[in-house]
Amino acid sequence: MKRVATDVGGTFTDLVHFDPEAAPGSSIVCAKVDSTPPGFEHGVMNALAKTQIRGEDMDFFVHGSTIIINTLTERKGVKTALITTRGFRDVLEIARGNRPDLFNFRYRKPEPLVPRYLRREVTERIDYKGNVLTPLKTGELRPLVDELRVEGVDAIAVCFLHAYRNPDHELAAVREIQRLWPEVAVIASHVLSREWREYERTNTTAAAASVQPVAYGYLSGLEASLADRGFSKSAYVMLSNGGIDTFAAVRNKGITMVESGPAAGVFGAATLGRLTGTQNLITLDIGGTTAKCSLIENGRVRLTNKYVLERTPRYAGYPLLVPVVDIVEIGNGGGSIAWLDDAGKLRVGPRSAGADPGPAAYGRGGKDFTTTDAHLLTGRIDPGHFLGGEIKVDLDAMNEAAGRLCKVMNVSREELARGVIRIANNNMVNALKLVSLNRGYDPRDFSLVVFGGGGGLHGTDLARTLQIPEVIVPVNASVFSCWGMMQTDLRRDRIVSVPLVLAVTNASEVDTTFRKLEMQLRAELESDRVDTAGLGFQRMLDMRYEGQEHTVKVDVPDRLINAEVVEQIQEKFRDDYEREYSYRLSSQIEVVNFHVAAVVPVEQVMPAKPGKTGRGVKDCIRSERQVDFGPLDVHRCAIYERALLEPGMLIEAPAIIDEPDTTIVVDSGRARVDDFGNIRIEV
Amino acid sequence: MSNDFDPFSLEIIQNSIDAACEEMFTGMRQTAMSTIIYEVLDFGVGITDPEGSLVSQGAGIPIFIGMLEPGVKAIYKKFKAAGRIFPGDIFITNDPWHGGASHLNDVSLLMPVFSGDTLIAWTANKAHWSDIGGMVPGSVAIEATEVYQEGLQFPDIKLFERGEPIESVIDMIRANSRLPDNTLGDMWAGVASLRLGANRLEQLVQTYGQEVFTEALRRYMDYGEVVSRQALAQLPKGTFRTVGDLESLGQVKMLLTITDDHFTIDLRGNRSQVNEPANCPYAVTLCGAKVAFKAITDPGGICNAGVFRPLRLLCDEGSLFAAKRPAPVGLFHEPVMFVTDLVWRSLADVLPEQLTAGHFGSVGALVIGSIHPDTGKPAFLIEPEVGGFGAGLGYDGANAQFSKIDGETFNTPVELNEARNAVFVRQYRFNEEDGGEGEYRGGKGVVLEYEIKGEGAWTTGLFTPNHTTAPWSINGGEPGSSNRVEIIRSDGKREILGKFSNVPLNQGDIIRVVTGAGGGAGDPLRRDRSILESDIRNGYVSERQARQYYGFSDNQ
Repeated sequence: MKRVATDVGGTFTDLVHFDPEAAPGSSIVCAKVDSTPPGFEHGVMNALAKTQIRGEDMDFFVHGSTIIINTLTERKGVKTALITTRGFRDVLEIARGNRPDLFNFRYRKPEPLVPRYLRREVTERIDYKGNVLTPLKTGELRPLVDELRVEGVDAIAVCFLHAYRNPDHELAAVREIQRLWPEVAVIASHVLSREWREYERTNTTAAAASVQPVAYGYLSGLEASLADRGFSKSAYVMLSNGGIDTFAAVRNKGITMVESGPAAGVFGAATLGRLTGTQNLITLDIGGTTAKCSLIENGRVRLTNKYVLERTPRYAGYPLLVPVVDIVEIGNGGGSIAWLDDAGKLRVGPRSAGADPGPAAYGRGGKDFTTTDAHLLTGRIDPGHFLGGEIKVDLDAMNEAAGRLCKVMNVSREELARGVIRIANNNMVNALKLVSLNRGYDPRDFSLVVFGGGGGLHGTDLARTLQIPEVIVPVNASVFSCWGMMQTDLRRDRIVSVPLVLAVTNASEVDTTFRKLEMQLRAELESDRVDTAGLGFQRMLDMRYEGQEHTVKVDVPDRLINAEVVEQIQEKFRDDYEREYSYRLSSQIEVVNFHVAAVVPVEQVMPAKPGKTGRGVKDCIRSERQVDFGPLDVHRCAIYERALLEPGMLIEAPAIIDEPDTTIVVDSGRARVDDFGNIRIEV
Repeated sequence: MSNDFDPFSLEIIQNSIDAACEEMFTGMRQTAMSTIIYEVLDFGVGITDPEGSLVSQGAGIPIFIGMLEPGVKAIYKKFKAAGRIFPGDIFITNDPWHGGASHLNDVSLLMPVFSGDTLIAWTANKAHWSDIGGMVPGSVAIEATEVYQEGLQFPDIKLFERGEPIESVIDMIRANSRLPDNTLGDMWAGVASLRLGANRLEQLVQTYGQEVFTEALRRYMDYGEVVSRQALAQLPKGTFRTVGDLESLGQVKMLLTITDDHFTIDLRGNRSQVNEPANCPYAVTLCGAKVAFKAITDPGGICNAGVFRPLRLLCDEGSLFAAKRPAPVGLFHEPVMFVTDLVWRSLADVLPEQLTAGHFGSVGALVIGSIHPDTGKPAFLIEPEVGGFGAGLGYDGANAQFSKIDGETFNTPVELNEARNAVFVRQYRFNEEDGGEGEYRGGKGVVLEYEIKGEGAWTTGLFTPNHTTAPWSINGGEPGSSNRVEIIRSDGKREILGKFSNVPLNQGDIIRVVTGAGGGAGDPLRRDRSILESDIRNGYVSERQARQYYGFSDNQ
């Protein structure tokens, strides 16, 4: 099966084409072209043109895009109204009332996604058991819809209290709105989330409605362009839950692709693990402004249903109740600025020089000393070969930027560069601890997969600190996300709040609830005409001890749930809980959410193993230079050209391996090139 | 280099200590058993040096700043001399006079951290335990006249010795709490968080050595002091007099003196302690002073012992603000917040671009108890309420936010309250009554209505300032509005309350919470007309209010 994956970012559009029938060595073709906002589909077409891929060369097309998250963060969604239960239109603005910036009495809460005059109420009421207390007054919708039409609204979000338990009123309201005004985009909360907490669900629905027409137009446009190119097979979108789904399904639920890019990266790592037999992985993606990390245990990626858009330690952000790959992100990347605060404390990030002006060494007017500058100054990055030779390093600008800090701190430039790298590393170590140690995982049981422009520069140092035995730098790291998407299974998640006590006596209720959800998912997939051959279900329960609020997600076996299985689940919960929080209780256990993922597996790609020419490892050395390895001292070492490396080669530390857009530091242990061309460093 | 210590190592240790605090905080939040901890985040964690000076802290609510310090200091003093602090020990205290608590429900757990035989730091946490005995459920009793009525006291004692729990203490907790499972669950959550923090600190000492570690702690506190002194330099110098009305407790006067070196809050000459639980021991009043100091000097920065070195607080022994044992202290939080607000108010008119008018000024504590009709078990709704914040020049006050002494505090979702707490929520929306008009508007309070569903229901609440006073305005704005609670009986009778305890309720009765708007800033006539039109369209300002306060006419 010939596959194409494309990933659209704000700056670049990446493409990977995989043709298992092509000659060895040319089965994978990659391309990178400029993105073309606002008509992003043109970039995709340009990438296809550049690689001369025609419609008939593709049996399978998968697509990831940052368009939804950008639309949300740039507030470019359409004019959106909210229809909600009478008495509760201000829920969206009251929000949770919290002030993370504790001492700031001029704190600004997140601006509600729907202004108050477009938040309308209708008479209806359902109780927490799902019983109708007050029937929906459908007749109230007509004048209301007429007003919203006059206001020029393009999308309507519908969210009623307790719709997670009984969606009848939402369904009836949506039907009526569609009847009155077929052109308007309308979405109801229960379609997106079946969890309780009305503010979070309302906000999710409002956000989803505001991006709905955007997603619809975008995916329709792309589909049409693909058809023009002769493509007639299945097209899929990469979602935040780490699965893919059809264009047709995602078009009406665009919000589910909000974190599609980072999710693809993490799933790329999981795929790599499957391929190479490494099932426990910590992933680290170091970009220009941030570093993102995540943990994969036994090949399973962790999901969270507590995603908050734009949250910072001092800002509440916007909660979105859609399953998203659990990623910890910190403000540390290649462009992170080293700066002294007013009281003289040195910090690295979260301020970033970004791509423009970029690090001082770019010579584009950047006055600040960044992590990238520190790597150049220590010789880890080759000044003569910066970004594959595309940029000539401005040494004067870099030294000037360093000099300002050195003067205040009374340290040498070399000390500064080492110090900045150490602080950046420490920030990343703290983030890596959050996904591992803090959740009870021992880093010694994991391999660290690094990607993004800065992954190879920091990987070994971080691994040493955390006693992670191995660092993997995948082949084609820069198109890693595409690689991940291409092998991602079709996946739909359904999470439903059904609070109950987990007791042996409830076994059949648990079983029935799971089966009901699975039947619903299957029916939905079939009605979307998805080929359900191979369809399987992953079951999870969000559980807690009685009286607690926060839950732990526990995997549940996909078979008849009887008393014995309930006991196993209880035990599994107590074990997982103890691993994460260090103690166990004999208290009763409660289930809050049932979570089922329907997974239709996609055939896995086995890339052809690169051939060997019999070249010696010495023949891959491009040059030698002096490199400052920080705590491991300064060494003169060989610089290898990654493109020349072949499977089975061994490189002893200290060494540097150069690629056009990234650099790999091998400062201890040794690096081995595996059968697929990945570099694996034992540290 | 400028000294013997590598500056980068010191930075890394300091960052790592902050990260450890954050981990402790998250761990505690996720494992706690009580809503007041995991939703209201009525808890704090911290790391101190061996003698108890705060190095770093993570808190859900500002008032816990520095509250951990006196606890560690008291334990250190009591046990150190006797040579009875061992690795694996955990101490417990809730003494409001010297043990780092504000009322008895605020229980501190403290764990010494060792490098070999040397005590190098403490990890500490303090959380509001839902019930520790006393005369009423929840332990905080409006009727209390002595601290003995407010629950079990832990007078700086050991809870664990060398890693082993002291079962007799745990048994006493179990026997004295009306909610023993929750309470002990919260205790275990606290223990886990202390151990996690201790573990991180031990790793740091292993990596960097004890000497560098200790130096990093010392310098981090010095850094805090530098930050505060720089901010102090920017403030207007002089003495500022303010008088405020603490309703039934009378007037409170304050002298604030700012010099190049000190920020002195003088509360001397105020009334003596009272026979009701509104008393604040000195250490507790100091916390309110710290919140104000931090918010005025450097709201975004770190909080450690160094930060507060320039702060001075003067109170008369035995007064409301330095009450002596055995004064009851259960409802300390409203007078403490009043102190915070009074300091803020002293400077608000001088710094209207930086500070703001008064806010609704109440934690808005509401308790509704009953028997849940589904389970037959007791249901407890315990929650603070949101209200309006004051406006400043260039800033409309925040709508519907928790009070100044709360912070990362979350309201209880309607859907949860209905399912668990035997209430039906009739509405939750902005309070549209008059208040807070100005060139910049005060934030909106809310109207929240609970209809009682359970049997044997009762309610307790504290909403000050209530209908007698309103949040002040600045620069010619209108004052905000006051808080009140209405109880509407099924026969239509209505009682309006501010402070109430154990009021019996019947099924179908309605509790209507109305919180106030924050004060306005600047003359309403000067409000930007296009913004005013948007206010009217959105219903933040009614047409009547627009005409009455803003000089709006339709033909504008």
